Amino acid sequence: MELRPSFQIPALIKSLTDVVLPAVDPANKLAQEQGQLVVAMLHLMAQRLPLQYRYDCHELKQFLGLADSLASHGAAVPELGETLAALATDAEAGRAVLSRAGVEPAELEATNLALRTSVGAAISASAMAADGPATKAINAAVMAHAQEMLLRERAWLAMQGWEGPNAGLPAVETLIGG
Amino acid sequence: MAVVDKNRPSPEWIEHLRKRYPCEQEIDRVLTRKLERRAGPPYAPVSLDTLQAGTEALLRTQLTEPFTITDTRWLSGGASKLQMAFVLHWNQPGVGRSSTPLVLRMEPSEAITETSRLREFQIIKAMEGKVPVPPTYWIDAYGEYLPYPAIVYGFAEGVTKPSKSTSTVSGVGTSIPPEIRETLGQQFVDHLVTTHTFDWQQADIGAYDRPAAGTEALEWALNHWERVWEEDSHEDVPLMRLTMAWLRRNMPPVDHISMVHGDYRLGNFLYTEHDLRISAWLDWELAYLGDRHEDLSWSAKRQFGQMAEDGKTFLVAGCLPIEEYLARYERASGLKVDPERMRYYDIFNNYKCLAIVLATGYRAPFNGKTHQDVLVAWLSGISYPLLEELRTQMAEVL
Repeated sequence: MELRPSFQIPALIKSLTDVVLPAVDPANKLAQEQGQLVVAMLHLMAQRLPLQYRYDCHELKQFLGLADSLASHGAAVPELGETLAALATDAEAGRAVLSRAGVEPAELEATNLALRTSVGAAISASAMAADGPATKAINAAVMAHAQEMLLRERAWLAMQGWEGPNAGLPAVETLIGG
Repeated sequence: MAVVDKNRPSPEWIEHLRKRYPCEQEIDRVLTRKLERRAGPPYAPVSLDTLQAGTEALLRTQLTEPFTITDTRWLSGGASKLQMAFVLHWNQPGVGRSSTPLVLRMEPSEAITETSRLREFQIIKAMEGKVPVPPTYWIDAYGEYLPYPAIVYGFAEGVTKPSKSTSTVSGVGTSIPPEIRETLGQQFVDHLVTTHTFDWQQADIGAYDRPAAGTEALEWALNHWERVWEEDSHEDVPLMRLTMAWLRRNMPPVDHISMVHGDYRLGNFLYTEHDLRISAWLDWELAYLGDRHEDLSWSAKRQFGQMAEDGKTFLVAGCLPIEEYLARYERASGLKVDPERMRYYDIFNNYKCLAIVLATGYRAPFNGKTHQDVLVAWLSGISYPLLEELRTQMAEVL
């Protein structure tokens, strides 16, 4: 899927900076100010989006550390019993989530990209080979994969409206469960 | 597998692509230039003053008498080129002192369709008097006077869609009302026939390589679009690999080499609403010498037509049922429409369109190379319905 924020946000910034904002009425201070803020906010998003996942993991790890400290030090304070019990439950859930947090999105994206390239090379190479049952099976596998992938990609972009309101695309959330 | 940095292409990789995908010389020049410039700066906004100064510099090489340019303003429309309208006050040959409204059409740093202004200029000049084309005046083929290569056009009167209708970008989704379908539809057929039967052998079109009979023209075209895919794509797409392999294995020889418009469709012609005459065919930049079935297939694409009121009959260009369209074409041209080749070019056209919208539609805005990155990025979303269409087409032929 090419339309991801790392591709979209710079295009939005450039359009606003080069075309839209210069055309905003200089006398309309509210529009001028909000236009500048939209650009600044998009810059902030573009800069921080790649780190968002790492940031959230780090934050969870730090809070788990603080929760452990509170549990340890607070154990001697009888009045904290109920609160610390609730904290322990949430901290346990947090540790479980953190243990499942895997590679960063950028690494996942790069791995997908590399695998796509290798798959593409294998398909092109197989096309050079003589026709036979293996080639037919490879073609069928590519077609089956395309069907599933394209349903997901079209559902992801359904809001753009290319296929009209009656395209019958499922909600993308139902297609990316696991 | 060696990783290629497509945003900073090495000379070795560029040379590798040139050897691997031999295509027409002028197309090779344009694509090579694109790659050589890619690592350079993104497109920077160009002021009307800069364009006016560049246009004046170009015109000083063409006009011997004094002239002035006034009333410069931006035009929108199209996903590919910048357009500036202006008025030229000059001593027009054969007319005398005149004030002529003109349009400067200039490339951005990289366009969603990277094409040759020289080819565009030559083919429009060659088609003048044969089919309606906009008046074409001067060319800055290599960007010597303007920031990028450009052509100065005259204004052609007319609209691309009924004034009261709506459509999405690039004319997709335009609605043609019943009362004008026959008149426009017949001209749509007639102009295509004229283009395809045009005697290109005698034309002054030196920027076009002349293919031999057989599959040479198609091989050049396949190399052209696979090269674009290789140069510009970010994510590899298995279906695109499979499709190109099929296209190469099943190349139909051409029986009659035609001038192919390359983007012949609703949205790419102007017509005058008071008399319903097509006044100009636009966007000749993808023209090449090849098989007429490319235009026939492209013009009949669902995205460039509409359903009739019965909800069942698809109207090519919003005007004619497809059977009627092809029958009239055969009668007027004396050239057969081969269903097998139509099917081949349906697939070819989707591959070509995807090389443009999915590969270049990603790469050019990613590097900030156009004057409207946000529009090009938005357009790239149409790739996925197109891929789905390609998938169903491939399922029929595999």
